[in-house]
Amino acid sequence: MAVLTQAKKKKGLSAAHGFGMIVVAMLVLMVLLGSRYDFGVADYVQFVLDGLRAGAIYALVALGFVTVYRVTGVINFAQGAFIMLGPMIAISVYGFKWLPSDGLNLALGALIGVVVTTLIGIASERLTLYPARRALPLTKIIITIGVYLALQGAALIVWGPQGYVMPAFTTLNMADESFRFAGLLVKAQTLWIWGVTAAMLVILALFFERTMIGKAMRACAVNRLAARLMGIRVDTMSMIAFGIAAILGAVGGIVLGPVTRPTYDMGLDLGLKGFVAAIIGGLVNFPAAVIGGLLLGVLENMWAGVTQAGFKDLFAFVVLIVILLVRPAVLSGPESEGEHG
Amino acid sequence: MKARHVLLMLAISVVILALAAACAPAPTPVPTAAPPTAAPAQPTTAPAQPTTAPPPTSAPTAASTAPPATVAPKVGTPWKIGFISSATGGGASLGVPERDVANIVAAQLKAAGGIVGPDGVKHEVQILINDDQSSADTAATLARRLIDQDQVQVLVASTLTGTSLAIVPIATEAKVPTISMASSLDIIVDPKTKEVRTWIFKPVPGNNHSADKQAEYLKAVGVTKVCDLYSNDSYGQDTFASATASFTKAGIQIVYSDAFDPKATEFPQLAKVKSSGCDAVVIGAIPPGSSVMNVAVRDALPNIRIIHGHGSCSADLVKQAGKAAEGTVMPCGKILVADSLPDSDPAKALDLKLIKDYTDYTKGTPISTFAGHAYDALQWALVGLKALPDGGTLADQRAKVRDGIENGVKNFVTTHGLYTLSATDHLGFSGSEFAFVVVKDGKFVVLPKDQWK
Repeated sequence: MAVLTQAKKKKGLSAAHGFGMIVVAMLVLMVLLGSRYDFGVADYVQFVLDGLRAGAIYALVALGFVTVYRVTGVINFAQGAFIMLGPMIAISVYGFKWLPSDGLNLALGALIGVVVTTLIGIASERLTLYPARRALPLTKIIITIGVYLALQGAALIVWGPQGYVMPAFTTLNMADESFRFAGLLVKAQTLWIWGVTAAMLVILALFFERTMIGKAMRACAVNRLAARLMGIRVDTMSMIAFGIAAILGAVGGIVLGPVTRPTYDMGLDLGLKGFVAAIIGGLVNFPAAVIGGLLLGVLENMWAGVTQAGFKDLFAFVVLIVILLVRPAVLSGPESEGEHG
Repeated sequence: MKARHVLLMLAISVVILALAAACAPAPTPVPTAAPPTAAPAQPTTAPAQPTTAPPPTSAPTAASTAPPATVAPKVGTPWKIGFISSATGGGASLGVPERDVANIVAAQLKAAGGIVGPDGVKHEVQILINDDQSSADTAATLARRLIDQDQVQVLVASTLTGTSLAIVPIATEAKVPTISMASSLDIIVDPKTKEVRTWIFKPVPGNNHSADKQAEYLKAVGVTKVCDLYSNDSYGQDTFASATASFTKAGIQIVYSDAFDPKATEFPQLAKVKSSGCDAVVIGAIPPGSSVMNVAVRDALPNIRIIHGHGSCSADLVKQAGKAAEGTVMPCGKILVADSLPDSDPAKALDLKLIKDYTDYTKGTPISTFAGHAYDALQWALVGLKALPDGGTLADQRAKVRDGIENGVKNFVTTHGLYTLSATDHLGFSGSEFAFVVVKDGKFVVLPKDQWK
């Protein structure tokens, strides 16, 4: 037993080592490519800062993937829809101006956006995956893609094809406050994104470490059959996992809202990038998913900076394809489990 | 073992990425597949808002039941203008103002009792107003119906490039003069043969005119190196192509250019703008894309000159970009800055009157250039009809209206300024007729040539 764990650890270590080498190699390559332009150190630091902003969002989305995957063994492609629903609902509520001040309206919009998205997440699990709980993982994945398409189609009917504008949290209009130091530029909204992401990470960690439900969910992840024998309702845990994924997606979408233009189809890109981030982290490991998200954000942005902006999405999807070629098993359920519920 | 495998695969991918980067020359635009947000028809939204569709022909039929009271001139048969705009669907923000202007012009014609032809015969003019729902199919069906069933003398159609191009072959085959309200040059000039389409006209300036005006400004202020950032849709690509052509002619060098995704959250392009050493950034997009890029450029380079295209000339730019829009300059349709035009400008009086009529009719909606385009197109149709004597076959009448437009619109005052049509030019606009404006204290203000610096 001890030998086994040690062997596992060693393998993990060498994989991490190799992974680190690859990242360093990529960074060197990008700096080499960047030498075609007249970039200074500040430009590269700016690429990293901007990349960390997108990366924080990818990390949140990736955590949603990991939560659902660990508990249910399903890759939830409906995650993208949650990212889109959060800001869209928030903007609609903000537009009604129910409360006297803009700040309160935005807070109310964000709250309702998260709550409604969570309910939609739970409902979609109850209505689609629960009836198919005995199906193969592949069937369930196809179902989540169906849920995504249905939610995106509904959003197109409700909100139309046009992009919406969400006010920045600090200034409450589209022009945001920005901070400068040593040739670098950080927007106030970026600080919001980092702050909210950090807060979500702490809350999630506390939830899994300190609460009974969190511990029960971890038990499901380790061994579903044993968890059931211990009296844990695995189906309920699956529903809660979808709820958590929806909260993470909606919060990520809402804090990102002011720096982009929310549209009915914004979830596809962000959802897939979050999936890439989760897969970089091995799909079962929370800290690794966060690192995967931040790394993807930084590398992708730097890649776009040293080549062309149009190549940006190419990076994430080449990484995705390569990882799926190397480790196709990630799509067919967690390796560590013998029993698939 | 496995780790080595991963390493190998990733190493290969890194090599592939390096090759991909090396093969791509820096200035080539590589747009991602994002579709233009405003232009294409969105059938799913069309049924959602049928209530906004106007009662199509009510205004003209009301006019026909009340014959003109004057008896002095002989009264001939009524002339018919077929009017199609995209009042619902994706083009609604353009099509609704156009439809409203058609109603205004119809009311004005009714009040005047019609128009008098060259032979002194007075004709009532009916405008048959239709909605193509921003769909090319519907536009084609409506055009056929107006031509065959309603037997119109002239068509004013339609709002979008797509719907207009769907009508072009139908109108050409039936030999019906048609005036489009969309912007693409392909509507009036066959892109393959480069020949002017005999039967099609449009009063809408294109990006090439906007670029000419930008080049004129850049040359005047002594900028020779510019960066061009354009949205990754057909509109942005067209602004870039136009800028390349016009700027090269004027001796201005585009030292860096790249497409951007209006929905992107990061703009790594700006590091290259900085390192390219250009003195001005030309942004080719419409709001909110141009607003987003305006803010990003201003943040990264607080002192660089920013020049927009005429598509950004809308209150949205100032609303969305806020302080960052201050001091940016752009060519602009005169109707948007009518009150700050010099009194000597021939378009000023016309624009102010149209703005008043339009705001009265719509109860306070601010004017847009699209309303102006519909007005100009209908005025051209009336120029053609005024050259049409009573009698003759329908085919004969249509040919005479076409000739009437081509020969009659000479130094003709429109909402954009003076137009002169000819057999080789069915637009008749020159870039110098654009107003050049600067954003000052949140407002668009005309920037006269002597203040270009």
